[in-house]
Amino acid sequence: MAILQPSGISSAAPHPRAARATLSRWERVSGRRPLFALPWRAYLPLAPALVFLIVFLLLPLGATVWLSLSPNVLIKFDGPGLANFSYLLGKPYYLDVLWRTLRLAAITTAVALLLGYPAAWFLRDLSARAASTLIIALTFPILAGPLVVVLGWMILLSDGGPLFGPLVRHGLIGPVRLLGTEAAVVVGQVHFTLPFVVLTLFAALKQIPVDALEAARSLGAGRVQVLRHVVWPLSLPGVLSACLIAFSLAASSYVSPHYLGGAATLTLTTLIAQFITATYNSQLASAAAVMLLIVMAVIVFGFTKATARAVRI
Amino acid sequence: MIGRLYLALIFLFVCGPAAMILFDSFNSATSFPSPFEHITLHWYLAILDHDEFLEAMRISAIVAAAAAAIATVLSVPAAYALTRRKLRGGHALATLLVGPLLVPQIVMGLAMLQLLSLAHIELGLGGLIAVHAVYVMPFTVRLALTGLAHFNFALIEAAKSLGAGRLRTVWHVTLPLIRTSVIAGFTFAFILSFVDLPLSLFLTTPRTATLPIQVFAYMESRLDPLVAAVGALVLAAAIGLTLTLERVFRLRIAG
Repeated sequence: MAILQPSGISSAAPHPRAARATLSRWERVSGRRPLFALPWRAYLPLAPALVFLIVFLLLPLGATVWLSLSPNVLIKFDGPGLANFSYLLGKPYYLDVLWRTLRLAAITTAVALLLGYPAAWFLRDLSARAASTLIIALTFPILAGPLVVVLGWMILLSDGGPLFGPLVRHGLIGPVRLLGTEAAVVVGQVHFTLPFVVLTLFAALKQIPVDALEAARSLGAGRVQVLRHVVWPLSLPGVLSACLIAFSLAASSYVSPHYLGGAATLTLTTLIAQFITATYNSQLASAAAVMLLIVMAVIVFGFTKATARAVRI
Repeated sequence: MIGRLYLALIFLFVCGPAAMILFDSFNSATSFPSPFEHITLHWYLAILDHDEFLEAMRISAIVAAAAAAIATVLSVPAAYALTRRKLRGGHALATLLVGPLLVPQIVMGLAMLQLLSLAHIELGLGGLIAVHAVYVMPFTVRLALTGLAHFNFALIEAAKSLGAGRLRTVWHVTLPLIRTSVIAGFTFAFILSFVDLPLSLFLTTPRTATLPIQVFAYMESRLDPLVAAVGALVLAAAIGLTLTLERVFRLRIAG
C-alpha cells in the first residue's frame, strides 16, 4: 500500500537491534523480568485501538451477517436461514452481477499488471530523486479521491471530449458511447489500482541486485533472456501481491461501476447500494455484502494457496 | 529513452483526469462535460453562492479531522506497544489493526448502518466519524510503526532514570521524536477521509452530507462546470498538503 515513509530522521538513532540489546542488558542489571516473560501491561496500549475496531468494525459486520440470515419482506422464512443467499444465487440477474464483479476485477488486475510492470521496471532505471517525484505524482489521484477521478473520466470519455471528439468531428470514427459501458468501468478501476500496482512492483524490482543482472549478461544472456530468466522469476512474489491488491481493490470499488458504468454494469458493490437506496431491503443488501466478503476471501486465499509454490523459489 | 516515454504515457494516464478537471473548472460553457469555450472564474465564485457546498465542506472537514484524530490517538500507543517489545501474538495483532483495508468501504458503511438501525440510533455525525476512523486506522498504524521502527527505546529508560514520570517522558521524549510520522499519519488520514464517498453513502442525512456526497447529489439534478471547480479545489488542497508534508518534513512516499 502507498504509505508515507519518513526519511532522514533516523540517522541519529542507532540500529534498532543495538538499542534492544542495550535495553535488555539494562533490564538484566536492574533485575527486571527477562524479555519474554511479559506482563499483561505490555499489551495495555493496544487495548483502545482493538476495542475500537471490535465495536465499530467487527460488531457492525456481525450485525450484517445476522441480518443476512434474517427473513425480509420479499422472502419470509422462519428463524435464521440461508434463504436470502439462495434467492440471490437463484436469479440469473443476480448471478450475472456476481459474475460481472469477478470478471471486471480480473480484467482490471490483468490490465493494471500489464501496464504497471514495465512502468515499475523503467522506474528502477531513474535516479532515486526522479523516481520518488514520479511516485508522488502517481499517488495524487488516490489523494484527490473519487470525485476528481470520476469527473475527469466523464470529460475524457464523453462523445465530444478531448479523446474522441476530434476524431468524431473529422469523421474518422463514428460516435462512441463509452460512458455507461463495462469498458469505462475497467478504465476507471485500472486508473485507481495502477498506482498501487506500480508501487508494489517497484518495491519488488528494486530488491533485485544489479549484480544478478550483470552476472546473467556476462554469461551471455540477451536482454530478453535476462528479463525472462532472472528478473521475472525474482519479481514473482511482488507480482502476486500486486495481483491480490489490484483484485481486492477492483472487486470492492464502488465509484467506477456506479458513476462510469451505471444500471447496465451493476456489480456487487453497486447492487448493495441499490438494495439500500432504491428498495430499502437491508437483509438482501447484507446478504450481497456477505457474499462479496466471502467471494473476496475465497479468491484471495485460493490464489495465495495456488501460487505458494511459485513464490517459494 | 523508450522507458522515459513509457513512463510519460503512464503519467499522462494517471494524472490526465485530474488535469482535465482543473482545465474544465475554468470553462465558461454551461453544461458538463462540454468543449472548452473561454476562460472564466465564474464557477469558483459560484461555489460561494451555494451554501450547501460550503456546509458540506464544513461537515467533511469536521468528520475528517475527528476521524484522523481518533485514528492517530488510538494507533500511536498501539504501534508503541508493538515495537517496544516482541509481544507474543504481536504479528497477529498488527495484522488485525490493518485489517480494515481488506473490507470494502461500501460494506463498512452498510455494516455501520445495520448496527445503528438494530440499536435504534438515529443517523448523525457519530456513526460517520466512527466508520471513517476505522477506515483510516490502518494508515495511521502503518505510519506510526515506520516512525517507531528506528526509535531508540533506551532514551525512555534514560528519561525515567533521570526522574521523569510516565507522562513527562511521553510528552518530552517519545512524542517529539516520532512527531514527523504522527503528523504525516494524521494528514494522510485526513485527506483520505475528506475525499471518501462510499463510506458515507448510507450514513449521511441531508444535514450531514459530506462534500463528495453533496457534489454527486448536485450532479443528479444539474451538470455544469461548478462540480469541476469543487473538484479542482479538493485536488489543489490534497496536492498542497502532500507537497507540504514532503518539503517540510522530508517525507517520501514509497511502497
